[in-house]
Amino acid sequence: MTTDWPYLDVHQSRTHEPTPYEYRLASALEEVFTHEGHELADIVRGLNARQVHSPDGAPWTERSFRDEINRLGA
Amino acid sequence: MTTSPADRLTADHIYATGLRNQWHPVVPSRFVAPGAMRKVTVLGEQWLLFRRSDSTLSMLADRCPHRGAPLSLGKHLGDRVACWYHGLEIETDGTVSSVPGLPGCNLEGKKLVRSLPVREVGGAVLAYFGDDEHPEPAPLTLPEPLTDPDTDSFLCYAEWNGPWRYAVENLLDPMHGAFLHHESHTMFDGDTTAKFRIRETDRGYFFEKTDQRGVNFDWVELCRTGVDWVDLSIPYPPSAGPGGPFGIVGMVCPVDENRTGVFFWRYRKVEGWQRDSWRFLYRTLIEKRHWAVLEQDRVMLEAMPADADQRENLYQHDLGVVRLRRMYRAEAEAQAAAPAH
Repeated sequence: MTTDWPYLDVHQSRTHEPTPYEYRLASALEEVFTHEGHELADIVRGLNARQVHSPDGAPWTERSFRDEINRLGA
Repeated sequence: MTTSPADRLTADHIYATGLRNQWHPVVPSRFVAPGAMRKVTVLGEQWLLFRRSDSTLSMLADRCPHRGAPLSLGKHLGDRVACWYHGLEIETDGTVSSVPGLPGCNLEGKKLVRSLPVREVGGAVLAYFGDDEHPEPAPLTLPEPLTDPDTDSFLCYAEWNGPWRYAVENLLDPMHGAFLHHESHTMFDGDTTAKFRIRETDRGYFFEKTDQRGVNFDWVELCRTGVDWVDLSIPYPPSAGPGGPFGIVGMVCPVDENRTGVFFWRYRKVEGWQRDSWRFLYRTLIEKRHWAVLEQDRVMLEAMPADADQRENLYQHDLGVVRLRRMYRAEAEAQAAAPAH
């Protein structure tokens, strides 16, 4: 941990640089929240319509989205 | 610190380096790993943060009681620090446990190094800085957003070159949001004219717009609960998902007369998948946007002239700042004038 002054670190909440998949999912989520709504059903529909699928390539379900976002955001 | 009546702090020094007899944030907890030490400057004084391997943290004056060498140059011995210069061993409460060059020396067993009460809160180290007349820590009530289990937060810490007061004044000046932060992801909206009022609370005061709420940076509450902090709320755009606005708990560390550590906990009342979504988006995309807003504040405050608060023409929007200054100035005068025993 640096002790040099000043400490100016843009990213203090990350444990790793997001993967391309994480960036793609985050951007798609923002789009869905902006244009389609804030409910789980909106998210599942919006992500599947954009073909931004879960890591195993399957279309999202409410269950799989909850599990994955918990893994990514806990 | 041992102050005799002859070297009591002046009101100007206290005003410039931070009020005594209260808690202040120091650095993020993660800056001191288990088994590590870290030198820090706070209120213009040198300190050593010392963490044992079991994570117990202590804060000692960074000064060997023998010849004044910095303990921060010494060795971490697990539950003590050994001064590099002559090997004196100091325990975490400031007691000299050993003078290896002269066993039985009368320094042994004496508590000769000042140690401060510390707490770790929301990922930050807080310490109590009492003067000789007020060594016992002031009661500390923590900000609710940091203790409420249904509220989630991320700490952002940054170091700015400027007086600590300017950083607090900036937070008691909501109107700058509509101008300095106009090109930001959160403060692009709302009127650029406003009337403000002060509303007293039992722990400080609100400074708030009379005719707009929930659009921009429209209100702030100064809270004095053993530590000084502000609470405020700013709307998120729809892209940030469900959960409504985000809040900020802000604290300031007076490092010395011209350096400041700022602590901003961005918080949101979210649970379950909504919480997870916010946390994921925050780490991936939003934190960087928050940082850009904070940099606007830093650029402006660091560019303020040294006599900025001496040559001003204030207007109604500055009532919150004026009140803050009067309060801090009066307290600095009182602390400097307090009778010494």
